[in-house]
Amino acid sequence: MFRKSLTILILFLCLGLLLSGCPKKTVTMDEGALTKEETAAREAERARQEQELKAQEEAARKAEEEAARKAEAEKEFEKSLVAKKTPGIEGEVLESSLLKDIHFDFDKYDIRPQDAEILKGNATLLMKSSTAKIQIEGHCDERGTQEYNLALGERRANSARLYLLSLGIAADRISTISYGEERPLDPGHDEGAWAKNRGCHFVILSK
Amino acid sequence: MRRYCLPFILLFILGVTTPSEARVYLDINAPTLVQIPIVMPKWKATDRTPTSVPEKIYEVVARNLTLSGFFKVIDYQQLPPALQKKEGIPEGVVLQEWMPSGGEILLVGDASLEPQTLTLQVRFHFFDLVEQKHLIGKQYEGPVQALRHMAHRISDEVVFQLTGEKGVHTTKLAYTLLQGEGKEIFIADFDGASLKQVTQNQSINLSPVWTPDGKKIAFTSYLKRNPDLYLIDLEGKNLQRFSYNPGLNVSPSWSPDGKQIALMMGMGGKSEIALIDTNGGNPKKLTNSHGNEASPSWSPDGKSIAFVSDRAGTPQIYIMANDGSNVRRLTFEGNYNTNPSWSPKGDRIAFCGRGGGRFEILTLAPDGTGLQKLTNNSGNNESPCWSPDGRYIAFSSTRTGSSKIFIMNANGFNQRPLTPSKGGESSPAWSRRFE
Repeated sequence: MFRKSLTILILFLCLGLLLSGCPKKTVTMDEGALTKEETAAREAERARQEQELKAQEEAARKAEEEAARKAEAEKEFEKSLVAKKTPGIEGEVLESSLLKDIHFDFDKYDIRPQDAEILKGNATLLMKSSTAKIQIEGHCDERGTQEYNLALGERRANSARLYLLSLGIAADRISTISYGEERPLDPGHDEGAWAKNRGCHFVILSK
Repeated sequence: MRRYCLPFILLFILGVTTPSEARVYLDINAPTLVQIPIVMPKWKATDRTPTSVPEKIYEVVARNLTLSGFFKVIDYQQLPPALQKKEGIPEGVVLQEWMPSGGEILLVGDASLEPQTLTLQVRFHFFDLVEQKHLIGKQYEGPVQALRHMAHRISDEVVFQLTGEKGVHTTKLAYTLLQGEGKEIFIADFDGASLKQVTQNQSINLSPVWTPDGKKIAFTSYLKRNPDLYLIDLEGKNLQRFSYNPGLNVSPSWSPDGKQIALMMGMGGKSEIALIDTNGGNPKKLTNSHGNEASPSWSPDGKSIAFVSDRAGTPQIYIMANDGSNVRRLTFEGNYNTNPSWSPKGDRIAFCGRGGGRFEILTLAPDGTGLQKLTNNSGNNESPCWSPDGRYIAFSSTRTGSSKIFIMNANGFNQRPLTPSKGGESSPAWSRRFE
């Protein structure tokens, strides 16, 4: 009877050992696996954080550079502005060699692909100068009649205006004026001159 | 400067003076025009009047009659020696003796200047040499400063007697002239004399138009860095900004009743035809297409407006009712037709069309039939406008180099420059008669 009890006890103990050992062993084993993953995760996290920091630093540096560049560009843009007064026309405008003219085909007012690129360039420039009011001048060549050319110049200036609006320039910064065939850039009377004279010219209105 | 005329009683003509219901010597609407040969002996200075006075009148009248395109003036210098010496109004006219002159009409006259009051008295008579009869005699009296005006009135009378409708010798033309970088408005008499600068602002001044009363000129100017519409009087005074919406305010055309003005107006980024009140306010858009609209011109009955639109891809002439309804296309030939101008009688519309690489003046009936080309391969010709009697068209042409104002008969005959200027002229506008 005693032996039987002892055997049961041993069995229990063994069971207890088993029961207590097994989970412990399992825990130990689990613990070991988690640590490994965790380490990897932590490392990844650290790396990510490091990268983020770096990126942040990079971004900050870039922003700084960008700001500096923008300031530089704005300064450059502002430096490029030349005041222009026209007799018989109220006020003065500022012209910049950095703002490029766009051109049109005869009797047309749609923006050609190569001129769209020019408009993007102009828009970038105008974005940098945050408040300047732009006036788009529509021009035509000498061929055709004066009055119809005034209408055509109005339409050309508006085509350029709509394109700049689509690029994010605020509407209240852009006005248009049609000079028709009255102010040719090139006084010549051949296709070379005419091609130059069918265009939009961009000026800044002085405050 | 009040001018008046008195009928002159003829004592030296046998028989009864024919009243002026007389026959019309010229059908000015005929496709080909035969010019009436008109003999003009020297005009006489009476009562110690300086000979320069009748000479000047003679010169103006002879030039007017030539410019009218209806006459072939036989100058006294072209006459046989026996007739060359005859001057003034003879006591008795033996019409037979004028037969060798080759003229069908005889026009004689004299002038006297009252030295104290400087009042000028001009008498003239004309005769039908073919039917051997007196046609009319008249006397004009006025201050000597009105000399040219009297000569114009005499010319009008001659044209009236022989064509059934008065001439346009008392009218003026307004136009623009390049001055440095800008353009200024000028006015001149029908014969190119009395040139006067109206604007003097160095701006771009465009598209002059006479107000219906002939007292002011409406025009577009960039004075305030926008093409605004202004009014100014003929002395260049009383400048008034009239229509100044942002964008175009160009090419006004008064309705025949004088109550409304059609014009080109920038609306929503493109040019539209709009109506405004005579005070410049209350704009009302008439056109409704995606195209550019330009250059409105009222029909003389006030019911319709001709205008330019490129809604079909190229600029063409269209006609709409005065409320913007009933739009129909008028021109189909060529790919560039602009500058419509409705004739005062309503039967034709003149316009500028491109053909063969050149811009020409053409006319056609308002129903689109009867296209006629009036200029032919000499330079670019633009901006036609009618004289108030519809017998002439003024336009600009580059045929002699820089653009100049030309005048021609409505059938394209007798094209001649308005003034002997070097050029730089454009946009003619014809006034009403100044009587």
